[in-house]
Amino acid sequence: MVSLLRKPRETLDPAGKPIRSGVIAAPADPGYMIDVEDLGIRYDLRLTKKTTIRGAFRNMTHISREDRSFWALKNVTFRVAHGESLAVIGPNGAGKSTLLQVMAGILTPSEGRIDVIGHISSLLTLGAGFDQELSGRDNILLAGAFMGIDNREMRDRLPGIIQFADIGQFIDAPIRTYSSGMRARLGFSIATAVDPDVLIIDEVLGTGDAVFRVKSQKRVMELAKAAKGIVMVTHDLHWAEEFCNRAMLLEKGRVIAEGNPSEVVALHRERSDKARIDREAEVARQLAAAAL
Amino acid sequence: MATTRTVRRIQTRARPGSIELIGEGLREIWSRRQLTRYLVQADMVKHGANTVLGNIWWVLDPLLQMAIYVIFVSVILKRGGPDYPLFVFSAILPWKWFSTSINDAITSVTSREAIIKQVKFPTIVLPVAATASGVVSFIFGLVPLFGMMIFFYADRLTPYLLFIPIVAAVQFLFTLSLCLVFAAINVFFRDLGNLARHFLRLWFYLSPALYATKELDPGKYGILAQLYKLNPWVPLFESYHNVIYAGPSGFAEAPDWLSLATLSVFSLFLIAGATLIFKRLEPAFAKVI
Repeated sequence: MVSLLRKPRETLDPAGKPIRSGVIAAPADPGYMIDVEDLGIRYDLRLTKKTTIRGAFRNMTHISREDRSFWALKNVTFRVAHGESLAVIGPNGAGKSTLLQVMAGILTPSEGRIDVIGHISSLLTLGAGFDQELSGRDNILLAGAFMGIDNREMRDRLPGIIQFADIGQFIDAPIRTYSSGMRARLGFSIATAVDPDVLIIDEVLGTGDAVFRVKSQKRVMELAKAAKGIVMVTHDLHWAEEFCNRAMLLEKGRVIAEGNPSEVVALHRERSDKARIDREAEVARQLAAAAL
Repeated sequence: MATTRTVRRIQTRARPGSIELIGEGLREIWSRRQLTRYLVQADMVKHGANTVLGNIWWVLDPLLQMAIYVIFVSVILKRGGPDYPLFVFSAILPWKWFSTSINDAITSVTSREAIIKQVKFPTIVLPVAATASGVVSFIFGLVPLFGMMIFFYADRLTPYLLFIPIVAAVQFLFTLSLCLVFAAINVFFRDLGNLARHFLRLWFYLSPALYATKELDPGKYGILAQLYKLNPWVPLFESYHNVIYAGPSGFAEAPDWLSLATLSVFSLFLIAGATLIFKRLEPAFAKVI
């Protein structure tokens, strides 16, 4: 485990001082929207469970030191250039959503760094953060306030968001009366209407009806064309091949491959097939053992 | 892309200094006051949404609570002084604000789990909004208070009532500090809500809400009488009683300015400490929730 023992790299700005999280000056055209270097996220297992005091005591006494932490991401390095859309694919639990959360600034890296140029808009698992009792309209304004967008600006964007979401009279009804498709549509409209330089999307394309799917794909294409960066986590391998310029395969928090979408998708298919065959063989072996 | 852009760098930072973190927390509270306002409005909408009487409950709640205590103390135990309903009401109003704020604040962060995992924003506004929502319920409660006073206790209407906002401001500071700490701790220990309910009830009875401090015989309680004075709700309840209840037929008095001032200073230190605790724990929220 050499990588675990390595000291985190000290990042220096041109003046030679260590840099903290925050806003720093950038070259006029750095040639990328997102620059991720040697990123690592460690979870402390004692904290991640929803604990009661009893559970906390049990965790403190029963888990040995080595088992206490877990790297959800490790040594992740990549760049997203202007106009590029990167598909992040991988099996469940590979760290895909964690990666999006770090890029959105929600999680702090345990090591390494991320530089993001411009405004980020992140709606991860779209629509889940809505306030059930408030109307769609109020939720749009509330989402804007959460994202730190000026109230007046958000009101200007309101008609556009409502129009794109296309949920008719429901816009003034409480969110709890919405179907999951309507919720996803509203979430997508908010995320993409705020004019982000960098858009981070988690599994958006799985929800919504066929018409909205086409509409949202068009919107994503437009954003990508307008020299913005997009990172999206998707299980839709077809979408990754068809519409993303690049793909990255994550497994167990490590980057396995990165590059041309069709090649990466092919590799992912191959590896998941192999994993499935291995699993089935294992099950067969255990069944055979049980039969004896 | 010819224009100069800013880069947002996300990385682990060296453990920031305490003063720095407190400053950051207070700046976040101030710069996101718009979000706080929306959250308070959302809270009001929710309170009125699913009940037949809707927001009328803001007014009915304290009145019914008062009725219960009056029945219990005046009717059954034959205790309580003159105009006891007003005496109780002037304590129930601020306490309702305090207890709802604490209870709301405890779940303020954990109940916003989904949005915390989606959008980066300073979570410190959540307990602040919970405290502020309590202020709204307090202001609504002033309506039946003044109604009662005008119709039944007109002789107790004095200019001292104008001191209510000052006492309330001190209470706000004290409440805010507790709300910040509890909201952060509940992320890690979800039992806090259960504990708080009982603790708050005990605290209410240990404070001079239903009785006046002067009705207690200090000789009877020994060292406990000294500890009693450390309870922040002693000066708060006494001040509310003084400015609301103590009219000309009672014992007209201004609040005890010295203890209120002491409590304010104490609360400011508490807020600084609470902000520090909150900011230290905040980075772990998204991982734990």
